[in-house]
Amino acid sequence: MKFMNKLEDKLMPLASALGSNKYLVSVRDGFLVTMPLLIIGSFFMLINYFPIQPWIDLLSETTIAGISISALLSTATTATFSLFAIFAVMGIAYHFSRHMEITPIHGAAVALVSWFMLMPMYTLYLPEGAAEAVRVSSIPFDWVGTKGIFIGIVCAFSSIHLYKFIVNKGWVIKMPEGVPPTVGRSFASLIPAAFVMVVFVLINLLFRFTPWENAFDFVFRFLQLPLQNVSNSMGAMVLIYLFAHILWFFGIHGTNITDTVFRPILIALSGENLEALQSGLKMPNIINQQFQDLFATYGGGGSTLSLLIAALLFCKSKRLKDLSKLSIFPGIFGINEPVIFGLPIVLNVTLLLPFIFVPMINIIITYIVMAIGLVPICNGVIMPWTTPPIISGFLSSGWRGAVFQFIMVTLGVFLYLPFVRSLDKQYLKEESETINKGNEEDLGALSFDDI
Amino acid sequence: MKKKIYLFCSAGMSTSLLSNRMQKVGDENNLPVEVKAFPYDSLDEIFEKDRPDCILIGPQMRFVVDKVKQKYGSQGVPVAAIDPIDYGRINAEKVLRFAVSLIKQAAKKEE
Repeated sequence: MKFMNKLEDKLMPLASALGSNKYLVSVRDGFLVTMPLLIIGSFFMLINYFPIQPWIDLLSETTIAGISISALLSTATTATFSLFAIFAVMGIAYHFSRHMEITPIHGAAVALVSWFMLMPMYTLYLPEGAAEAVRVSSIPFDWVGTKGIFIGIVCAFSSIHLYKFIVNKGWVIKMPEGVPPTVGRSFASLIPAAFVMVVFVLINLLFRFTPWENAFDFVFRFLQLPLQNVSNSMGAMVLIYLFAHILWFFGIHGTNITDTVFRPILIALSGENLEALQSGLKMPNIINQQFQDLFATYGGGGSTLSLLIAALLFCKSKRLKDLSKLSIFPGIFGINEPVIFGLPIVLNVTLLLPFIFVPMINIIITYIVMAIGLVPICNGVIMPWTTPPIISGFLSSGWRGAVFQFIMVTLGVFLYLPFVRSLDKQYLKEESETINKGNEEDLGALSFDDI
Repeated sequence: MKKKIYLFCSAGMSTSLLSNRMQKVGDENNLPVEVKAFPYDSLDEIFEKDRPDCILIGPQMRFVVDKVKQKYGSQGVPVAAIDPIDYGRINAEKVLRFAVSLIKQAAKKEE
Protein backbone atom coordinates (compact mmCIF):
# COMPACT_ATOMS: atom_id res chain seq x y z
CA MET A 1 0.00 0.00 0.00
CA LYS A 2 2.89 2.30 0.76
CA PHE A 3 4.18 1.92 -2.76
CA MET A 4 0.68 2.67 -4.09
CA ASN A 5 0.48 5.89 -2.10
CA LYS A 6 3.87 6.95 -3.37
CA LEU A 7 2.88 6.23 -6.95
CA GLU A 8 -0.35 8.17 -6.56
CA ASP A 9 1.57 11.11 -5.09
CA LYS A 10 3.69 11.10 -8.23
CA LEU A 11 0.82 10.62 -10.68
CA MET A 12 -1.57 13.28 -9.38
CA PRO A 13 0.70 16.26 -10.06
CA LEU A 14 1.52 14.79 -13.48
CA ALA A 15 -2.18 14.42 -14.33
CA SER A 16 -2.81 17.87 -12.97
CA ALA A 17 0.01 19.36 -15.03
CA LEU A 18 -1.09 17.66 -18.25
CA GLY A 19 -4.76 18.31 -17.58
CA SER A 20 -4.33 21.99 -16.88
CA ASN A 21 -1.49 22.96 -19.22
CA LYS A 22 -3.00 25.77 -21.28
CA TYR A 23 -1.45 24.62 -24.56
CA LEU A 24 -2.52 21.00 -24.27
CA VAL A 25 -5.96 21.87 -22.95
CA SER A 26 -6.52 24.37 -25.77
CA VAL A 27 -5.62 21.74 -28.35
CA ARG A 28 -7.95 19.20 -26.78
CA ASP A 29 -10.85 21.63 -26.39
CA GLY A 30 -10.26 23.01 -29.88
CA PHE A 31 -10.53 19.54 -31.32
CA LEU A 32 -13.74 19.04 -29.40
CA VAL A 33 -15.19 21.90 -31.47
CA THR A 34 -14.55 19.88 -34.60
CA MET A 35 -15.88 16.54 -33.35
CA PRO A 36 -19.61 17.11 -34.01
CA LEU A 37 -18.75 18.36 -37.50
CA LEU A 38 -16.61 15.31 -38.23
CA ILE A 39 -19.34 13.00 -36.96
CA ILE A 40 -21.98 14.63 -39.15
CA GLY A 41 -19.61 14.68 -42.14
CA SER A 42 -18.91 11.00 -41.48
CA PHE A 43 -22.59 10.25 -41.44
CA PHE A 44 -23.02 11.63 -44.96
CA MET A 45 -19.94 9.70 -45.99
CA LEU A 46 -21.43 6.56 -44.51
CA ILE A 47 -24.59 6.92 -46.61
CA ASN A 48 -22.43 7.35 -49.68
CA TYR A 49 -20.18 4.39 -49.02
CA PHE A 50 -22.55 2.07 -47.19
CA PRO A 51 -20.92 -1.32 -47.79
CA ILE A 52 -23.52 -2.64 -50.29
CA GLN A 53 -22.44 -2.27 -53.92
CA PRO A 54 -25.90 -1.84 -55.57
CA TRP A 55 -26.60 0.99 -53.10
CA ILE A 56 -23.33 2.75 -53.98
CA ASP A 57 -24.08 2.35 -57.70
CA LEU A 58 -27.61 3.66 -57.24
CA LEU A 59 -26.39 6.84 -55.54
CA SER A 60 -23.67 7.57 -58.06
CA GLU A 61 -25.86 6.87 -61.11
CA THR A 62 -29.00 8.74 -60.08
CA THR A 63 -28.77 12.42 -60.94
CA ILE A 64 -30.93 15.33 -59.87
CA ALA A 65 -30.56 18.64 -61.70
CA GLY A 66 -27.34 17.42 -63.28
CA ILE A 67 -25.63 16.32 -60.08
CA SER A 68 -25.45 12.74 -58.82
CA ILE A 69 -26.84 12.03 -55.38
CA SER A 70 -23.46 10.84 -54.16
CA ALA A 71 -21.78 14.06 -55.34
CA LEU A 72 -24.52 16.06 -53.67
CA LEU A 73 -24.13 14.23 -50.35
CA SER A 74 -20.36 14.39 -50.46
CA THR A 75 -20.46 18.19 -50.25
CA ALA A 76 -21.21 17.75 -46.55
CA THR A 77 -18.13 15.56 -46.18
CA THR A 78 -15.98 18.02 -48.12
CA ALA A 79 -17.12 20.97 -46.01
CA THR A 80 -16.23 19.16 -42.79
CA PHE A 81 -13.41 16.68 -43.43
CA SER A 82 -11.58 18.30 -46.30
CA LEU A 83 -11.67 21.68 -44.52
CA PHE A 84 -11.05 20.11 -41.15
CA ALA A 85 -7.93 22.08 -40.17
CA ILE A 86 -9.75 25.41 -40.56
CA PHE A 87 -12.18 24.47 -37.80
CA ALA A 88 -9.41 22.99 -35.69
CA VAL A 89 -7.25 26.13 -35.91
CA MET A 90 -10.27 28.29 -35.14
CA GLY A 91 -11.27 26.14 -32.15
CA ILE A 92 -7.76 25.87 -30.72
CA ALA A 93 -7.14 29.61 -31.11
CA TYR A 94 -10.51 30.40 -29.55
CA HIS A 95 -9.79 28.34 -26.46
CA PHE A 96 -6.18 29.48 -26.23
CA SER A 97 -7.36 33.12 -26.38
CA ARG A 98 -9.55 32.48 -23.38
CA HIS A 99 -6.57 31.18 -21.43
CA MET A 100 -4.52 34.20 -22.56
CA GLU A 101 -7.34 36.56 -21.66
CA ILE A 102 -7.82 38.18 -25.04
CA THR A 103 -11.13 38.41 -26.91
CA PRO A 104 -11.55 34.82 -28.19
CA ILE A 105 -13.15 35.65 -31.52
CA HIS A 106 -10.37 38.14 -32.36
CA GLY A 107 -7.76 35.60 -31.35
CA ALA A 108 -9.37 32.97 -33.57
CA ALA A 109 -9.45 35.37 -36.53
CA VAL A 110 -5.83 36.43 -36.10
CA ALA A 111 -4.68 32.82 -35.84
CA LEU A 112 -6.54 31.87 -39.03
CA VAL A 113 -5.07 34.85 -40.87
CA SER A 114 -1.51 34.02 -39.86
CA TRP A 115 -2.01 30.38 -40.81
CA PHE A 116 -3.40 31.37 -44.22
CA MET A 117 -0.49 33.76 -44.68
CA LEU A 118 2.02 30.93 -44.45
CA MET A 119 -0.04 28.58 -46.60
CA PRO A 120 1.19 28.03 -50.17
CA MET A 121 -1.89 29.25 -52.01
CA TYR A 122 -1.83 27.12 -55.10
CA THR A 123 -2.89 23.70 -56.31
CA LEU A 124 -0.84 21.80 -58.87
CA TYR A 125 -2.84 21.03 -61.99
CA LEU A 126 -1.78 19.05 -65.03
CA PRO A 127 -3.70 20.28 -68.09
CA GLU A 128 -4.47 17.66 -70.67
CA GLY A 129 -1.60 17.16 -73.06
CA ALA A 130 0.73 19.40 -71.08
CA ALA A 131 4.10 18.07 -69.97
CA GLU A 132 4.36 20.08 -66.79
CA ALA A 133 1.89 20.78 -64.04
CA VAL A 134 0.88 24.40 -63.57
CA ARG A 135 0.22 26.21 -60.33
CA VAL A 136 -3.39 27.32 -60.08
CA SER A 137 -4.05 30.00 -57.47
CA SER A 138 -6.37 28.56 -54.83
CA ILE A 139 -6.73 27.53 -51.24
CA PRO A 140 -5.36 24.00 -51.51
CA PHE A 141 -7.53 21.17 -50.12
CA ASP A 142 -4.30 19.42 -49.34
CA TRP A 143 -3.33 21.89 -46.62
CA VAL A 144 -6.71 22.76 -45.11
CA GLY A 145 -7.39 19.08 -44.43
CA THR A 146 -5.60 17.01 -41.85
CA LYS A 147 -2.15 17.77 -43.32
CA GLY A 148 -2.32 21.36 -42.12
CA ILE A 149 -3.15 20.65 -38.49
CA PHE A 150 0.24 20.86 -36.82
CA ILE A 151 1.35 24.01 -38.58
CA GLY A 152 -2.10 25.30 -37.57
CA ILE A 153 -1.43 24.57 -33.92
CA VAL A 154 1.96 26.28 -34.17
CA CYS A 155 0.38 29.32 -35.85
CA ALA A 156 -2.43 29.56 -33.30
CA PHE A 157 -0.07 29.57 -30.32
CA SER A 158 2.57 31.88 -31.80
CA SER A 159 0.16 34.45 -33.28
CA ILE A 160 -1.85 34.73 -30.08
CA HIS A 161 1.30 35.07 -28.01
CA LEU A 162 2.44 37.90 -30.28
CA TYR A 163 -0.99 39.50 -30.12
CA LYS A 164 -1.03 39.31 -26.35
CA PHE A 165 2.51 40.73 -26.20
CA ILE A 166 1.41 43.89 -28.04
CA VAL A 167 -1.77 44.21 -25.99
CA ASN A 168 0.37 44.01 -22.84
CA LYS A 169 2.64 46.76 -24.18
CA GLY A 170 -0.44 48.92 -24.27
CA TRP A 171 -0.02 49.75 -27.96
CA VAL A 172 -3.71 49.96 -28.76
CA ILE A 173 -5.73 52.77 -30.29
CA LYS A 174 -7.76 54.33 -27.54
CA MET A 175 -11.06 55.88 -28.56
CA PRO A 176 -12.26 59.13 -27.02
CA GLU A 177 -15.20 58.85 -24.68
CA GLY A 178 -18.58 58.83 -26.38
CA VAL A 179 -17.51 56.36 -29.06
CA PRO A 180 -19.70 53.24 -28.73
CA PRO A 181 -17.73 50.47 -27.00
CA THR A 182 -18.10 48.02 -29.90
CA VAL A 183 -16.49 50.49 -32.27
CA GLY A 184 -13.71 50.99 -29.76
CA ARG A 185 -13.13 47.25 -29.51
CA SER A 186 -12.89 46.77 -33.25
CA PHE A 187 -10.08 49.32 -33.29
CA ALA A 188 -8.50 47.84 -30.20
CA SER A 189 -7.48 44.75 -32.12
CA LEU A 190 -6.07 46.72 -35.04
CA ILE A 191 -2.49 47.35 -33.92
CA PRO A 192 -1.85 43.92 -32.36
CA ALA A 193 -3.31 42.20 -35.45
CA ALA A 194 -1.21 44.36 -37.77
CA PHE A 195 1.91 43.51 -35.79
CA VAL A 196 1.16 39.78 -35.99
CA MET A 197 0.69 40.01 -39.75
CA VAL A 198 3.96 41.89 -40.29
CA VAL A 199 5.79 39.20 -38.34
CA PHE A 200 4.17 36.46 -40.39
CA VAL A 201 5.09 38.19 -43.65
CA LEU A 202 8.69 38.04 -42.44
CA ILE A 203 8.39 34.38 -41.42
CA ASN A 204 7.00 33.57 -44.84
CA LEU A 205 9.91 35.39 -46.46
CA LEU A 206 12.39 33.53 -44.29
CA PHE A 207 11.08 30.15 -45.41
CA ARG A 208 11.55 31.16 -49.04
CA PHE A 209 15.28 30.96 -48.42
CA THR A 210 15.05 27.37 -47.17
CA PRO A 211 14.86 24.24 -49.35
CA TRP A 212 11.24 23.72 -48.25
CA GLU A 213 10.07 27.08 -49.62
CA ASN A 214 7.24 27.34 -47.11
CA ALA A 215 6.46 26.70 -43.46
CA PHE A 216 3.72 24.18 -44.23
CA ASP A 217 6.03 21.69 -45.92
CA PHE A 218 8.62 22.18 -43.23
CA VAL A 219 6.31 21.54 -40.26
CA PHE A 220 4.58 18.67 -42.00
CA ARG A 221 7.84 16.94 -42.78
CA PHE A 222 9.66 17.56 -39.53
CA LEU A 223 6.87 17.53 -36.96
CA GLN A 224 3.63 16.00 -38.15
CA LEU A 225 4.97 13.12 -40.24
CA PRO A 226 7.44 11.86 -37.61
CA LEU A 227 4.78 12.08 -34.90
CA GLN A 228 2.33 10.21 -37.11
CA ASN A 229 4.86 7.54 -37.95
CA VAL A 230 5.82 6.98 -34.33
CA SER A 231 2.17 6.87 -33.25
CA ASN A 232 1.02 4.62 -36.07
CA SER A 233 2.47 1.54 -34.41
CA MET A 234 1.20 -1.09 -32.06
CA GLY A 235 3.89 -0.27 -29.51
CA ALA A 236 2.85 3.38 -29.24
CA MET A 237 -0.80 2.53 -28.76
CA VAL A 238 0.02 -0.12 -26.12
CA LEU A 239 2.28 2.30 -24.21
CA ILE A 240 -0.28 5.10 -24.27
CA TYR A 241 -3.03 2.79 -23.04
CA LEU A 242 -0.76 1.32 -20.38
CA PHE A 243 -0.23 4.83 -19.05
CA ALA A 244 -3.93 5.71 -19.31
CA HIS A 245 -4.92 2.57 -17.41
CA ILE A 246 -2.41 3.10 -14.63
CA LEU A 247 -4.06 6.51 -14.20
CA TRP A 248 -7.53 4.92 -14.24
CA PHE A 249 -6.40 2.44 -11.60
CA PHE A 250 -5.90 5.42 -9.30
CA GLY A 251 -9.27 6.78 -10.33
CA ILE A 252 -7.92 9.47 -12.64
CA HIS A 253 -9.57 9.85 -16.03
CA GLY A 254 -6.80 8.26 -18.11
CA THR A 255 -7.81 8.99 -21.69
CA ASN A 256 -8.80 12.53 -20.77
CA ILE A 257 -5.09 13.01 -19.98
CA THR A 258 -3.59 11.07 -22.89
CA ASP A 259 -5.98 12.71 -25.38
CA THR A 260 -4.41 16.09 -24.71
CA VAL A 261 -1.29 14.85 -26.48
CA PHE A 262 -2.49 12.02 -28.66
CA ARG A 263 -5.78 13.15 -30.18
CA PRO A 264 -4.47 15.54 -32.86
CA ILE A 265 -2.23 12.78 -34.19
CA LEU A 266 -4.98 10.16 -34.16
CA ILE A 267 -7.38 12.49 -35.95
CA ALA A 268 -4.78 13.20 -38.62
CA LEU A 269 -4.30 9.46 -39.12
CA SER A 270 -8.07 8.95 -39.40
CA GLY A 271 -8.29 11.78 -41.89
CA GLU A 272 -5.74 10.11 -44.16
CA ASN A 273 -7.81 6.92 -44.11
CA LEU A 274 -10.96 8.79 -45.04
CA GLU A 275 -9.21 10.54 -47.92
CA ALA A 276 -8.02 7.15 -49.16
CA LEU A 277 -11.55 5.76 -48.91
CA GLN A 278 -12.93 8.67 -50.90
CA SER A 279 -10.43 8.29 -53.68
CA GLY A 280 -10.70 4.50 -53.69
CA LEU A 281 -7.17 3.83 -52.45
CA LYS A 282 -5.91 1.39 -49.82
CA MET A 283 -6.24 2.82 -46.32
CA PRO A 284 -2.78 3.48 -44.88
CA ASN A 285 -3.12 3.74 -41.08
CA ILE A 286 -4.10 0.88 -38.78
CA ILE A 287 -3.81 3.06 -35.68
CA ASN A 288 -6.20 6.01 -35.70
CA GLN A 289 -8.94 7.65 -33.69
CA GLN A 290 -11.46 4.85 -34.27
CA PHE A 291 -8.93 2.15 -33.50
CA GLN A 292 -8.60 3.72 -30.06
CA ASP A 293 -12.28 4.58 -29.54
CA LEU A 294 -13.88 1.45 -30.98
CA PHE A 295 -11.41 -1.43 -30.75
CA ALA A 296 -9.00 -0.85 -27.84
CA THR A 297 -11.57 -1.09 -25.07
CA TYR A 298 -15.21 -2.15 -24.91
CA GLY A 299 -17.44 -0.44 -22.39
CA GLY A 300 -14.87 2.14 -21.31
CA GLY A 301 -11.37 2.02 -19.77
CA GLY A 302 -10.29 -1.52 -18.86
CA SER A 303 -12.71 -3.00 -21.38
CA THR A 304 -15.12 -3.36 -18.45
CA LEU A 305 -18.06 -4.46 -20.57
CA SER A 306 -16.45 -7.91 -20.51
CA LEU A 307 -16.08 -7.69 -16.75
CA LEU A 308 -19.75 -6.78 -16.35
CA ILE A 309 -20.92 -9.64 -18.53
CA ALA A 310 -18.76 -12.04 -16.52
CA ALA A 311 -20.22 -10.67 -13.29
CA LEU A 312 -23.82 -10.80 -14.56
CA LEU A 313 -23.51 -14.40 -15.73
CA PHE A 314 -21.38 -15.99 -13.06
CA CYS A 315 -21.39 -14.00 -9.80
CA LYS A 316 -23.45 -14.53 -6.66
CA SER A 317 -22.49 -11.78 -4.22
CA LYS A 318 -25.08 -9.05 -3.80
CA ARG A 319 -22.51 -6.36 -4.32
CA LEU A 320 -21.34 -7.62 -7.72
CA LYS A 321 -24.84 -8.49 -8.88
CA ASP A 322 -26.32 -5.12 -7.96
CA LEU A 323 -23.44 -3.22 -9.43
CA SER A 324 -23.36 -5.11 -12.71
CA LYS A 325 -27.08 -4.59 -13.18
CA LEU A 326 -26.69 -0.90 -12.46
CA SER A 327 -23.71 -0.53 -14.79
CA ILE A 328 -24.47 -2.72 -17.78
CA PHE A 329 -26.59 -0.14 -19.61
CA PRO A 330 -24.20 2.79 -19.33
CA GLY A 331 -21.44 0.22 -20.02
CA ILE A 332 -22.86 -0.68 -23.41
CA PHE A 333 -22.41 2.99 -24.32
CA GLY A 334 -18.87 3.12 -23.02
CA ILE A 335 -19.57 4.88 -19.72
CA ASN A 336 -18.02 2.96 -16.86
CA GLU A 337 -17.45 5.26 -13.90
CA PRO A 338 -19.93 3.21 -11.85
CA VAL A 339 -17.66 0.19 -12.33
CA ILE A 340 -14.43 2.10 -11.78
CA PHE A 341 -15.55 3.68 -8.52
CA GLY A 342 -18.39 1.44 -7.42
CA LEU A 343 -16.98 -2.04 -7.80
CA PRO A 344 -14.40 -0.57 -7.29
CA ILE A 345 -11.53 -0.99 -9.69
CA VAL A 346 -9.67 1.91 -8.14
CA LEU A 347 -6.84 0.46 -6.03
CA ASN A 348 -8.40 -2.99 -6.24
CA VAL A 349 -5.35 -5.22 -6.62
CA THR A 350 -7.48 -8.30 -7.41
CA LEU A 351 -8.55 -6.71 -10.70
CA LEU A 352 -5.35 -4.86 -11.55
CA LEU A 353 -4.00 -7.52 -13.92
CA PRO A 354 -7.01 -7.98 -16.21
CA PHE A 355 -7.88 -4.28 -16.03
CA ILE A 356 -4.52 -3.39 -17.54
CA PHE A 357 -3.93 -6.41 -19.76
CA VAL A 358 -7.30 -6.96 -21.41
CA PRO A 359 -7.00 -3.61 -23.26
CA MET A 360 -3.40 -4.46 -24.19
CA ILE A 361 -4.54 -7.79 -25.60
CA ASN A 362 -7.38 -6.09 -27.48
CA ILE A 363 -4.91 -3.66 -29.05
CA ILE A 364 -2.39 -6.33 -30.01
CA ILE A 365 -4.90 -8.77 -31.52
CA THR A 366 -6.79 -6.03 -33.35
CA TYR A 367 -3.57 -4.67 -34.79
CA ILE A 368 -2.53 -8.11 -36.00
CA VAL A 369 -5.85 -9.03 -37.63
CA MET A 370 -5.97 -5.64 -39.36
CA ALA A 371 -2.35 -5.90 -40.47
CA ILE A 372 -2.90 -9.31 -42.10
CA GLY A 373 -6.19 -8.13 -43.60
CA LEU A 374 -8.56 -10.42 -41.72
CA VAL A 375 -10.53 -7.38 -40.56
CA PRO A 376 -10.56 -4.19 -42.65
CA ILE A 377 -8.71 -1.14 -41.30
CA CYS A 378 -11.05 1.52 -39.83
CA ASN A 379 -12.40 3.62 -42.67
CA GLY A 380 -11.96 7.03 -41.06
CA VAL A 381 -15.67 7.48 -40.41
CA ILE A 382 -15.68 9.26 -37.06
CA MET A 383 -18.48 8.33 -34.70
CA PRO A 384 -19.11 9.18 -31.07
CA TRP A 385 -17.10 7.00 -28.67
CA THR A 386 -20.44 6.17 -27.05
CA THR A 387 -21.47 4.07 -30.09
CA PRO A 388 -22.01 0.51 -28.78
CA PRO A 389 -19.66 -2.26 -29.95
CA ILE A 390 -20.79 -4.47 -32.86
CA ILE A 391 -22.64 -1.45 -34.32
CA SER A 392 -19.46 0.63 -34.20
CA GLY A 393 -17.39 -2.21 -35.65
CA PHE A 394 -19.85 -2.65 -38.50
CA LEU A 395 -19.83 1.05 -39.35
CA SER A 396 -16.05 1.34 -39.35
CA SER A 397 -14.93 -2.04 -40.68
CA GLY A 398 -17.99 -3.77 -42.14
CA TRP A 399 -19.49 -7.06 -40.95
CA ARG A 400 -16.10 -8.53 -40.17
CA GLY A 401 -15.53 -5.64 -37.77
CA ALA A 402 -18.80 -6.44 -36.01
CA VAL A 403 -18.04 -10.15 -35.68
CA PHE A 404 -14.52 -9.38 -34.51
CA GLN A 405 -15.78 -7.04 -31.77
CA PHE A 406 -18.18 -9.73 -30.58
CA ILE A 407 -15.31 -12.22 -30.39
CA MET A 408 -13.10 -9.76 -28.50
CA VAL A 409 -15.78 -8.90 -25.94
CA THR A 410 -16.32 -12.62 -25.37
CA LEU A 411 -12.59 -13.27 -25.05
CA GLY A 412 -12.49 -10.47 -22.48
CA VAL A 413 -15.24 -12.17 -20.48
CA PHE A 414 -13.07 -15.28 -20.15
CA LEU A 415 -9.96 -13.28 -19.30
CA TYR A 416 -11.81 -11.41 -16.56
CA LEU A 417 -13.67 -14.45 -15.24
CA PRO A 418 -11.10 -15.99 -12.86
CA PHE A 419 -10.38 -12.59 -11.30
CA VAL A 420 -14.04 -11.61 -10.99
CA ARG A 421 -14.77 -14.99 -9.41
CA SER A 422 -12.11 -14.52 -6.78
CA LEU A 423 -13.53 -11.06 -6.05
CA ASP A 424 -17.00 -12.60 -5.84
CA LYS A 425 -15.81 -15.08 -3.22
CA GLN A 426 -14.23 -12.25 -1.25
CA TYR A 427 -17.47 -10.24 -1.31
CA LEU A 428 -19.63 -13.27 -0.47
CA LYS A 429 -17.49 -13.88 2.58
CA GLU A 430 -17.72 -10.26 3.67
CA GLU A 431 -21.46 -10.25 3.12
CA SER A 432 -22.02 -13.34 5.25
CA GLU A 433 -19.85 -11.93 8.04
CA THR A 434 -21.21 -8.44 8.34
CA ILE A 435 -24.80 -7.54 8.90
CA ASN A 436 -25.43 -4.03 7.71
CA LYS A 437 -23.91 -1.87 10.40
CA GLY A 438 -25.55 1.33 9.25
CA ASN A 439 -22.49 3.48 9.60
CA GLU A 440 -23.88 6.36 7.52
CA GLU A 441 -22.20 9.52 8.67
CA ASP A 442 -24.57 12.27 9.66
CA LEU A 443 -24.51 15.08 7.11
CA GLY A 444 -27.57 16.82 8.53
CA ALA A 445 -31.14 17.19 7.40
CA LEU A 446 -32.11 17.27 3.73
CA SER A 447 -33.49 20.81 3.82
CA PHE A 448 -32.35 24.41 3.67
CA ASP A 449 -34.67 25.52 6.48
CA ASP A 450 -31.88 26.48 8.82
CA ILE A 451 -30.19 28.99 6.50
CA MET B 1 -34.85 30.49 -5.40
CA LYS B 2 -33.65 27.01 -6.24
CA LYS B 3 -30.13 26.15 -5.16
CA LYS B 4 -28.05 25.18 -8.14
CA ILE B 5 -25.88 22.12 -7.60
CA TYR B 6 -23.72 21.58 -10.67
CA LEU B 7 -21.70 18.44 -11.34
CA PHE B 8 -18.72 18.32 -13.67
CA CYS B 9 -16.79 15.43 -15.17
CA SER B 10 -14.83 14.82 -18.35
CA ALA B 11 -17.77 14.73 -20.77
CA GLY B 12 -20.64 15.30 -18.34
CA MET B 13 -21.97 11.83 -19.12
CA SER B 14 -21.30 9.71 -16.08
CA THR B 15 -22.14 12.61 -13.76
CA SER B 16 -25.49 12.93 -15.50
CA LEU B 17 -26.33 9.43 -14.23
CA LEU B 18 -25.88 10.83 -10.74
CA SER B 19 -27.38 14.28 -11.28
CA ASN B 20 -30.69 12.90 -12.60
CA ARG B 21 -31.11 10.75 -9.52
CA MET B 22 -30.08 13.56 -7.19
CA GLN B 23 -32.72 15.78 -8.78
CA LYS B 24 -35.28 13.02 -8.21
CA VAL B 25 -34.33 12.61 -4.56
CA GLY B 26 -34.48 16.39 -4.16
CA ASP B 27 -37.93 16.59 -5.74
CA GLU B 28 -39.23 13.74 -3.60
CA ASN B 29 -38.11 15.61 -0.49
CA ASN B 30 -39.45 18.95 -1.74
CA LEU B 31 -35.93 20.30 -1.65
CA PRO B 32 -35.57 23.45 -3.78
CA VAL B 33 -32.58 22.32 -5.83
CA GLU B 34 -31.57 22.21 -9.46
CA VAL B 35 -29.02 19.48 -10.09
CA LYS B 36 -27.30 19.37 -13.47
CA ALA B 37 -24.25 17.74 -15.07
CA PHE B 38 -21.81 19.35 -17.50
CA PRO B 39 -18.48 18.60 -19.19
CA TYR B 40 -15.57 20.12 -17.30
CA ASP B 41 -14.36 22.23 -20.22
CA SER B 42 -17.57 24.30 -20.02
CA LEU B 43 -17.15 25.16 -16.34
CA ASP B 44 -16.02 28.77 -16.85
CA GLU B 45 -18.84 29.56 -19.27
CA ILE B 46 -21.49 27.91 -17.12
CA PHE B 47 -20.23 29.65 -14.03
CA GLU B 48 -20.46 33.08 -15.61
CA LYS B 49 -23.96 32.38 -16.88
CA ASP B 50 -25.58 30.57 -13.96
CA ARG B 51 -23.37 31.11 -10.91
CA PRO B 52 -24.07 27.75 -9.26
CA ASP B 53 -24.36 27.47 -5.47
CA CYS B 54 -22.23 24.37 -5.33
CA ILE B 55 -19.68 22.81 -7.70
CA LEU B 56 -19.06 19.08 -7.43
CA ILE B 57 -16.33 17.39 -9.47
CA GLY B 58 -16.37 13.71 -10.46
CA PRO B 59 -13.60 11.78 -8.69
CA GLN B 60 -11.93 10.88 -12.00
CA MET B 61 -11.31 14.61 -12.54
CA ARG B 62 -10.25 15.32 -8.97
CA PHE B 63 -6.90 16.59 -10.22
CA VAL B 64 -8.65 19.84 -11.21
CA VAL B 65 -10.30 20.44 -7.82
CA ASP B 66 -7.50 22.60 -6.43
CA LYS B 67 -7.54 24.83 -9.48
CA VAL B 68 -11.31 25.24 -9.40
CA LYS B 69 -11.21 25.93 -5.67
CA GLN B 70 -8.67 28.67 -6.20
CA LYS B 71 -10.79 30.29 -8.86
CA TYR B 72 -14.30 29.99 -7.47
CA GLY B 73 -13.92 28.89 -3.87
CA SER B 74 -12.59 32.37 -3.15
CA GLN B 75 -15.93 33.74 -4.39
CA GLY B 76 -17.72 31.81 -1.68
CA VAL B 77 -18.89 28.94 -3.91
CA PRO B 78 -18.19 25.57 -2.32
CA VAL B 79 -16.11 23.24 -4.53
CA ALA B 80 -15.49 19.57 -3.77
CA ALA B 81 -14.74 16.22 -5.34
CA ILE B 82 -17.48 13.61 -5.05
CA ASP B 83 -16.66 10.60 -2.88
CA PRO B 84 -15.53 7.84 -5.26
CA ILE B 85 -17.59 5.06 -3.68
CA ASP B 86 -20.78 7.16 -3.60
CA TYR B 87 -20.08 8.17 -7.17
CA GLY B 88 -19.62 4.60 -8.35
CA ARG B 89 -22.72 3.30 -6.61
CA ILE B 90 -24.71 6.34 -7.73
CA ASN B 91 -25.68 6.99 -4.12
CA ALA B 92 -27.68 10.07 -5.02
CA GLU B 93 -29.11 10.74 -1.59
CA LYS B 94 -25.73 10.76 0.12
CA VAL B 95 -24.16 13.04 -2.48
CA LEU B 96 -27.16 15.36 -2.25
CA ARG B 97 -26.83 15.49 1.53
CA PHE B 98 -23.16 16.23 1.05
CA ALA B 99 -23.95 19.09 -1.34
CA VAL B 100 -26.58 20.51 1.00
CA SER B 101 -24.12 20.42 3.90
CA LEU B 102 -21.54 22.23 1.75
CA ILE B 103 -24.02 24.95 0.83
CA LYS B 104 -24.98 25.37 4.47
CA GLN B 105 -21.35 25.60 5.55
CA ALA B 106 -20.71 28.24 2.91
CA ALA B 107 -23.81 30.17 3.99
CA LYS B 108 -22.63 30.13 7.59
CA LYS B 109 -19.24 31.43 6.59
CA GLU B 110 -20.79 34.36 4.79
CA GLU B 111 -22.76 35.34 7.86
